[in-house]
Amino acid sequence: MSTKTPLKLIAVAAVTLSAGSAMAFEPSKSVEFIAPANPGGGWDTLVRTVSRVLQEEELAEQNFAPINTPGGGGAVAWAEVAKDEGNDHMLFATSPPIILVPLTGSSRYDHSDFTPVARLSTDYITLLVDADSDYEDIDDLMEAIRENPGLSIGGGSAPGSMDHIAVAGLAGEAGIEPGSINYVAFSGGGEAMTNLMGGHIEAVVSGASEAVGLIQEEEGELRALGVSSTERLGGELANVPTFEEQGLDYTFDIWRGVMGPPGMSDEAVAYYESLFEEMLETDGWADARDRLGWIDAYQGSEEFGEFLDAQADEFSDILRELGMVE
Amino acid sequence: MTRLNVNQVLGLVLATFAVLYLVLAFQIPQFALPRPIDSDHFPKVLGTSLLVLSLMLFLEKPQARDIPDPVQSREEAALPAWQRPWARVIITFLAIAAYAALLVPLGFVLASMLLAVGLTVYYGYRRHGITLIATLGVVLGLYLIMTRVMDVYLPTGLLPL
Amino acid sequence: MESLNNLIYGFGIALSPMNILYVFTGVFAGTIIGMLPGLGPISALALMIPITFAMDPSSGLILMAGVYYGAIFGGSTSSILLNAPGVAGTVATSFDGYPMAKKGQAGKALAIAAYSSFVGGTLSVVGLMLVAPLLSKVAVSFGPAEYFSLMVLGLTAVVSLSDKSLIKGLIAAVVGIMVSIIGIDRQTGTERFTFGSAHLLDGVDFLVMALGIFALAEVFYMLLRGGGGKEQPRNAIGSLKLTRGEVKEIAGPMTRGSILGFFTGVLPGAGATIGSFLGYSMEKRLAKDGDTFGQGNIKGVAAPESANNAACTGSFVPLLTLGVPGSGTTAVLLGALLVMGVTPGPAMLQDRPDVFWGVIASMYIGNIFLLVLNLPLIPLIAKILDMPRALLLSMILIFCMIGVYGLNFSVIDLYLLLAFGLLGLAMRLFGFPAAPMILGMILGGVMEESMRRALQIAGGDWSVFVDKPISLWLLVIAALSVFLPLIKKAIKGLRLRHA
Repeated sequence: MSTKTPLKLIAVAAVTLSAGSAMAFEPSKSVEFIAPANPGGGWDTLVRTVSRVLQEEELAEQNFAPINTPGGGGAVAWAEVAKDEGNDHMLFATSPPIILVPLTGSSRYDHSDFTPVARLSTDYITLLVDADSDYEDIDDLMEAIRENPGLSIGGGSAPGSMDHIAVAGLAGEAGIEPGSINYVAFSGGGEAMTNLMGGHIEAVVSGASEAVGLIQEEEGELRALGVSSTERLGGELANVPTFEEQGLDYTFDIWRGVMGPPGMSDEAVAYYESLFEEMLETDGWADARDRLGWIDAYQGSEEFGEFLDAQADEFSDILRELGMVE
Repeated sequence: MTRLNVNQVLGLVLATFAVLYLVLAFQIPQFALPRPIDSDHFPKVLGTSLLVLSLMLFLEKPQARDIPDPVQSREEAALPAWQRPWARVIITFLAIAAYAALLVPLGFVLASMLLAVGLTVYYGYRRHGITLIATLGVVLGLYLIMTRVMDVYLPTGLLPL
Repeated sequence: MESLNNLIYGFGIALSPMNILYVFTGVFAGTIIGMLPGLGPISALALMIPITFAMDPSSGLILMAGVYYGAIFGGSTSSILLNAPGVAGTVATSFDGYPMAKKGQAGKALAIAAYSSFVGGTLSVVGLMLVAPLLSKVAVSFGPAEYFSLMVLGLTAVVSLSDKSLIKGLIAAVVGIMVSIIGIDRQTGTERFTFGSAHLLDGVDFLVMALGIFALAEVFYMLLRGGGGKEQPRNAIGSLKLTRGEVKEIAGPMTRGSILGFFTGVLPGAGATIGSFLGYSMEKRLAKDGDTFGQGNIKGVAAPESANNAACTGSFVPLLTLGVPGSGTTAVLLGALLVMGVTPGPAMLQDRPDVFWGVIASMYIGNIFLLVLNLPLIPLIAKILDMPRALLLSMILIFCMIGVYGLNFSVIDLYLLLAFGLLGLAMRLFGFPAAPMILGMILGGVMEESMRRALQIAGGDWSVFVDKPISLWLLVIAALSVFLPLIKKAIKGLRLRHA
């Protein structure tokens, strides 16, 4: 422990030296780190985990203060951040809704209004059925939907948002009209899963990490029919095949990242980029990430920006097929 | 033409509201995907129910206790205009509205102190020392608990707190 | 026998010095936070998350559970003293608690709330211990159709809550439901009645309406009718002591309230609120002196208070046995447990019995702490009412402001609060009951959503509500609870006419 401080000092000195010019950015006060939702959700967990790891690993001189700005599925926080142009001391947690919510017309601001900073991690979609159900793999389920389009599939968010898009895209890949899926919106993934266990609906689409506790080998109440990743996931989910393995050329990422207000300075972006890159290497992060079932998927600002544009194209295609945008 | 009783007046006011509500309900757009019950159904049912209920209220005989008594007591009439009961309600209302408008520019502590001390004095409590200490204690206490312990952000405004 | 062994094992964990300290800290912090304006169990738990990060999971959950039921315990204080219910579960407590305080029985009302909370908390832990695994089946047996029928049953309480005029009560309930559906429709994403305001997208918060039509309206009313300027005789706090007769009187309501609260609490969703409202209206109908409910009847405090605390414990059933959160509060708990490396769910009883039984044992201890801690505090807290009236009114206003502003840090909420305050005043002047409106506001949104979900699943077939046995029974009970009193009244009327 005692050697840590000097080493860190040297590291800081090295960074400062290598950055060289006087233009290098360091936060001069605590950074507002916004979760555009209430405590307890995915964005909130990301914000709190990141700021805790940064603090525990002593990576940043300044405190990253978690702030919850709930409302409108993120729209309230986005409107606030968008007004704060050029603020280098403000960041917010982001994931696919930043693209989907504006597409369905519920937010005036979309991803292009903000400065992408970094993509950090990702999670995947899984389709769940009751453990006693007849559906053994994704083909069984898709076949059943083909025969009975009224088959109800629950999800934790509104029609046209992430869960719906994910299952509609999958159905489209299986040759089923995406708009014909009987998607039932619940007010959260937990509620959807309870309804699945009670036999009120036939299947649930959910984030894989959310469902881990319920699909354990022996005691599990639910069965996962597949995951939307390119390779199998680890841990409890190691036995769940990917959709691609089952002959459906379909992947879906629930990526999580960090963005800043419009017009954030290049120096600040560079600072945060390397800060997060460094953070992903720490044990503290690895620990938290594994517990939460996330998978590292770092992208720097520029790459992340291009990725976001590609996602926006993909999502608007699916929404168009669903008839939800013109 | 006979004068309307209180339930009839209320009935008409509520019916007007119900009609306005229904007009808005009919403007709720249809969802792109067919739903058994779309967003507009429930509001339409609510508006119609309110309309029917307000007509029933129109026909109901008012009971004595439902009629607010407009008679001012002599004691109240003797008060200066700005101290009469209705004036107290209106001034409190305006004070809260002003508070809402000034909360962010002045900050929580200052705005709350002004509101609490101002209204206490206006309501007629004359021991200003106690008022000042009590309000300062409560406002500052709440402020510190909220911001320092609970991490709830309250506007700081002019004071460097 | 097995549960006894398990319980002894649990006490072994809960009685370790550190865990006793955590229970104590948890319930103490919870009570204080529950009393603060606008801060409910969710904010209390969110505050604890960083603290529990590095803790042993059983200790962490013991602490957080303590905070949770402590906050529910503390929440009744502002309902009783200021007519300002901070969370939906304590609204029903204010119906008789506040009138008692006005009559100079604040001490007794708070004491009854404390005893009832203790009874509700303790009886429901017994329930949690004995039948939790069985009840997990009950929790999942409620689908959208059943919820819709449960909400219908909950709304029938309107009939008992509006003894002034049934029509006015119904009007209030309809307006309450109208408020509840403002915002983005979760079933379609369509905006309804938002008038283009981004602020209204998530609808009107419960607290804005509750503090408006109860607390603020009460301030306005006192200014109008109470001769605000003049120094009024101060409200006495009154004795805390209950007579033997009173204890006997509330024993039944407390027991029934606890059972009802526990079972509704098990259901994911509006458990505590439905439990306390149903408990209240059930006691009102059972009581011989039902007419005096709403004027400071001690049974009207005992029933909802035991129910909301029992519901809090009940909400641990789906969390611990299924791993699914039934409410926003338990969702935060679930998140915290996951971070600590414990996955609640069917396997938890086998994998982590220390967490399960440790928490259950700690709840017995925590409820005793709460009672011992709170009874001596009551005279102190009730001193609030001893303030000069002019000062008290300003303080209630500040209390409402901070509670409402703290919700979203939005000034718009303050204007909404003011509007509801005026609405509440008008309702009082013209004899409209406020309780049905808040009930409609709380249940209306869930009712519409579950109805539409049920129909979406059933492909638009309305028979789904009567085909499912639980749903059918709930609807039958709802119908009986509306029509029986009306029929009784009609028969009574006929008799009177013939006599």
